[in-house]
Amino acid sequence: MGQMLQWFQMTCRDTTPLISEMMDHSLPLGKRLRLKFHIAICDVCCFYKNQLETIRALARKLSGEEAPTQQQVVLSEQSKTKIKNSLKQSG
Amino acid sequence: MPETLNSDLWVDRYGDMLYRYTLVRVKNPDASEEIVQVTLLAALQAKSSFQGRSTEKSWLFGILKHKILDHFRELKTQRTFELTPEDGSDPLENAYHADGHWLNAPKNWDTDPHKAAENHQLVEALSQCMDRLSDKFRNIFVLKEIEGLASEEICKEMGIKPTNLWVILHRARNQLRKCLETSHWDTKQ
Repeated sequence: MGQMLQWFQMTCRDTTPLISEMMDHSLPLGKRLRLKFHIAICDVCCFYKNQLETIRALARKLSGEEAPTQQQVVLSEQSKTKIKNSLKQSG
Repeated sequence: MPETLNSDLWVDRYGDMLYRYTLVRVKNPDASEEIVQVTLLAALQAKSSFQGRSTEKSWLFGILKHKILDHFRELKTQRTFELTPEDGSDPLENAYHADGHWLNAPKNWDTDPHKAAENHQLVEALSQCMDRLSDKFRNIFVLKEIEGLASEEICKEMGIKPTNLWVILHRARNQLRKCLETSHWDTKQ
């Protein structure tokens, strides 16, 4: 029983790469269960998971066609004229 | 009424938003400007294929997305995206005690990820932290989390082994985590 528990328990060091990996593809059942078990009893790894999920949500927001950031970033007038001219020449 | 194209107004109407969309992915202002120009020229050539089923704006964004992926493919011909010794070591290498428990424990951000995404300051903070990643890590993170490509696709397009992709993403996320913690959460307290 003790041996089984030892196999089942993971350290934080073992857990963190798996939390990241889990975000990219599904893990085999054994690993998934051990990960779930560890996160359920470890606050800090739970914070870690929440941080990675927050980063993912922020990145999704940043990926939109009208992301809320850097609305002040614009093409310079010079660049706009350059692109307009190239369109005219090509059209 | 089906949507029609008005190419004379493209630059004034959509130039800035196409540019911002590209800049988030590509980082380099000159390369981003070039991609916007190439996109609009390609759109002009393809004008006759526009059938008015989508809006002018989403049609242009559709072309832009292809051009951005072309840019990433072009980068791959210039440099390797595989993990190399120059990429340094795991930022979490010294983050644990010998028994495997956290030494520098992650803080409790105490936030619902989706609510956090409504906080523009935080989104901006991520954008700035992304710019501090190495080009390789930034590009891979962008393909995964901004473009939303599947891992297999990234490995195939960029010539990386799956295990190295996970290592790169793991390290990039940890650098971003650290950067956000310093730039946002530390200043809040």
